[in-house]
Amino acid sequence: MKNYSQRSGEIGDFSDIPFWKKADAADLVYVSYGLLIVTLVVVSYLLGAFHLLPHDPHDIRLDLMMSPPGTAGHLLGTDFMGRDIFSRLIVGIQAYFLPGLLAVAISLIGGSTLGVLAGYRGGMADTAITYFTNLVDSFPRLVLILLVVAAFKPDIYYIMIVVGLTNVPVVASLVKGKILFLKQKNFVEAAVSLGLPARTIILKHILWYNCRSLLIIQATLGMGEAILMETSLSYLGFGVQEPSPSWGNMVQAGANYFMQGKFWPSTAPALAILFTIMGFHLLGDGLNNLLEGKRGR
Amino acid sequence: MKNAPLLKIEDLRTYFYSRSKQAFIRSVDGVNLEIRRGETLGVVGESGSGKSITALSVLGLISGGPGVIAGKILFGSNGEQKDLLDGLEGYVKIGREQNRIMQVSKDVLGWERRSDEVMRTIRGGEIAMIFQNPKASLNPFTPVGKQITEAIRLHTKITDAQEAAERAIYWLKRVKIDSPALRFDNYPFGLSGGMCQRAMIAMALACEPALLIADEPTTGLDATIQSKIVDLLAELKSELGTTTMLISHDISVISRLSDSVVVMYGGTVVEYGPVRDILTASISSKHPYTSALLASIPGEEHVRDKVALQAIEGDVLDTINIPAGCRFYARCNRVTPKIRENCERREPDLREIAPGHRARCWLYFD
Amino acid sequence: MPKTILEVIDLKKHFFHRKGLFSAFSGEERRIPAVDGVSFYLKENETVGLVGESGCGKTTIGRTVLRLAAPTSGRILFDDKDITTATTEQLRKLRGQMQMIFQDLDAALNPKMRIRDILREAITVHHKVSDEEVSRRIGELLEQVNLKKGKLSNFPHELSGGEKRRVGIARVLSVGPRLIVADEPTSALDVSIQAQVVNLLRDLQSQLGLSYLFISHDLRVVELISHKVAVMYLGKIVEMGLSGRIAHAPKHPYTHILWSSLVEKQSKESSSATRNTQSGIWGVFDFERPYSGCRFAPRCPVYESQGRPTVCTDPASEPQLRDIGDGHQVACHFPL
Repeated sequence: MKNYSQRSGEIGDFSDIPFWKKADAADLVYVSYGLLIVTLVVVSYLLGAFHLLPHDPHDIRLDLMMSPPGTAGHLLGTDFMGRDIFSRLIVGIQAYFLPGLLAVAISLIGGSTLGVLAGYRGGMADTAITYFTNLVDSFPRLVLILLVVAAFKPDIYYIMIVVGLTNVPVVASLVKGKILFLKQKNFVEAAVSLGLPARTIILKHILWYNCRSLLIIQATLGMGEAILMETSLSYLGFGVQEPSPSWGNMVQAGANYFMQGKFWPSTAPALAILFTIMGFHLLGDGLNNLLEGKRGR
Repeated sequence: MKNAPLLKIEDLRTYFYSRSKQAFIRSVDGVNLEIRRGETLGVVGESGSGKSITALSVLGLISGGPGVIAGKILFGSNGEQKDLLDGLEGYVKIGREQNRIMQVSKDVLGWERRSDEVMRTIRGGEIAMIFQNPKASLNPFTPVGKQITEAIRLHTKITDAQEAAERAIYWLKRVKIDSPALRFDNYPFGLSGGMCQRAMIAMALACEPALLIADEPTTGLDATIQSKIVDLLAELKSELGTTTMLISHDISVISRLSDSVVVMYGGTVVEYGPVRDILTASISSKHPYTSALLASIPGEEHVRDKVALQAIEGDVLDTINIPAGCRFYARCNRVTPKIRENCERREPDLREIAPGHRARCWLYFD
Repeated sequence: MPKTILEVIDLKKHFFHRKGLFSAFSGEERRIPAVDGVSFYLKENETVGLVGESGCGKTTIGRTVLRLAAPTSGRILFDDKDITTATTEQLRKLRGQMQMIFQDLDAALNPKMRIRDILREAITVHHKVSDEEVSRRIGELLEQVNLKKGKLSNFPHELSGGEKRRVGIARVLSVGPRLIVADEPTSALDVSIQAQVVNLLRDLQSQLGLSYLFISHDLRVVELISHKVAVMYLGKIVEMGLSGRIAHAPKHPYTHILWSSLVEKQSKESSSATRNTQSGIWGVFDFERPYSGCRFAPRCPVYESQGRPTVCTDPASEPQLRDIGDGHQVACHFPL
């Protein structure tokens, strides 16, 4: 049984209702959860940056080694060197926050530049860019990262540059698709014929008005991916190195004690990774449905 | 039964739903019309007048909710008359407030299952349809001849493949496709637009339908091709006498091919009668919309004297915002002080103003 | 004597299509001569109508004339200045004087911008003007195209077809053009709205002294609005002259068929002119079919009735436009 009901509006009063009023409840929940996570991450990043922490994350307390959550003011307990896990979780955000933003910036700027070149110019530029993106796409990302790590040094910024670059093709193809869609509707040609300079058409009409929601969505998804990359590499020992905390190396360090029944040193960062990445992805998904519209409605 | 019309539509309502406005789009909002056996009924109207949706409703081809929600479609062939919407009322619940439909609940799956049951024997066989875009309506991966053959085997008594193929070639020849035996094996992309439309017509007629619905058969074709298709339809009409519902916004096509005409505006029929009364008689005897529409088309006299066209002011009716009074009131130039109040408040019904000629206008009611 | 605003000399625009999967390497290309040697001129405050079937190259001419596409060869003179090889920046400046109305109603309207911003942008493209001047100008434009002020804060998707067309015209007018290429400005509109737009375009011409290149397949509208009409067939102009002459005393068989098909659709019996062309060749119309000599010969009733004279299919003697008096030009060996 499907129900359809009409707003009791006067004749002449059927204007569009704003998107959040007609949105799926699920999408709104996704987006609010995502926004909550993003706020938490940003606030925690700032707290970490200004050292506004309950404990010093590097303070080794041999007397409090592996104490369970709640012991002596340690909210989430301590790790094998007696360091406060909660504080280390907050500081762990430093490991991915700026590098993640760098990755996102690279993928968005690189992607929209290539996308605009391919879509707006077309012809040879399009062919060249398509070959390039296919080449990048066909390379396993992890292998590329390991190559970079081996050639330079295991620095998170190098890794994030690679993550950003490997995300360029996705953004580029989305932007290009959007431009081709606009071109098909003669939209670009009409702007040219009005006498608008190419710069205005690209920056204002294409990127700002027609690609902004797409880019915001890609940014959230890209950030989630960057976090995943950082934590998994740090877990493997290629990313952030001890004693600097990262959620990845915290899980790794704690994993040795998991079997002894001391689950908290690994579980806390693992859950943090889970909820954060879920937050970014749900935010991207929800925004996609809200701003770009769901298919098959 | 002999004199009963082949198709009679009574108070048909087909609504769609706008999510962004949370309101009903009343595409077809109380349509009444009938097609007698052997006649061609022309349906004229602008986009959004509901003419195509009426045809699709008859064939049960409406997708998207709520769709057909009320009315009767009486179709009489093989000596019995049956309602194509019979037994469907149970799946729809309508909530009204002050005579306006405000809420519709529909069991879409149940409705569709029941509708398919009724329509299966009718669609294609009893009622065939020609669509506006012939290239899109033909299967691009099957040769046209094969498509026609399959239709024949599905809808007529001929089941033998060889016989059906011969029949298909006969029909291709009948619609004036040259060297039909060669075209038989052509794929739709190898044919021009006009040729595809001919193939569509052949396919529709090959099933020997009781009713043929032609939805904008000439739109989108070039001027010279259009006139050829119209010629073909006229010739087939005089030879076969197939009962036809011809939908078009092109008045010249309608006036050439039809016996009766229905003029639609904003989801309803505003005028209905024999073609010579509506599209050629003096202006004073017609609904203001019809006469204004005829006047707005550039004719010989405009061109000769280089005078401005008599445009209808305002915009095509938005079928979400249907006013309480006459649907054409806001654009009408023939409102008199005597009837103004009626026009504004009450919707006129479709009443006979001359034998066989009905109009929905207060001007003709006392 | 009004000045010539636009002159087109032997304009050609060919498109190239890659053929097959490996054409990038073999370099095999298919040439489509969408516009194949077209010459005409347009005087100030005058309308030239361009008619023909779909695919005959009318829209391509419009786009090439405004240099939205680069011509393959030929010359385009705007105000006696050659703009065939103008640079992007020069062209950008020229767009203040020549504009295009697109067939697609949504083409000119950014879906995410309000009508006010669309018009403001157009007004400020070529001139730096103050905010007050902008609002004054917007008011003036709305009056010119007969659009309600209340629509200014709407988004394009909230407008009806007729209103979108009016905004499109206002946008084009806002730069103050002298030449407007109107590409099928009425074909996307409803019958009752078409008349409004045709009247509007005519009023604007007399008020502002505009020149139109009016592209359409609607013969009646073209006849009504144009001073001169050029009939195109497969990338070439086959006949050109005053609109009354073209409509009522056509000399080229194609023009004759085009106009009689209009009358014939209405009348109950088909006219004799087209009756004898009712053979199967009538659906054939494309650039890929090889022809030699006159490109209309394969469909031409005169060619048939003359007993297929060889001059019509002689590749060395393709008929050229020649004057037969009163500026009436026709490209046919056997004009009617």
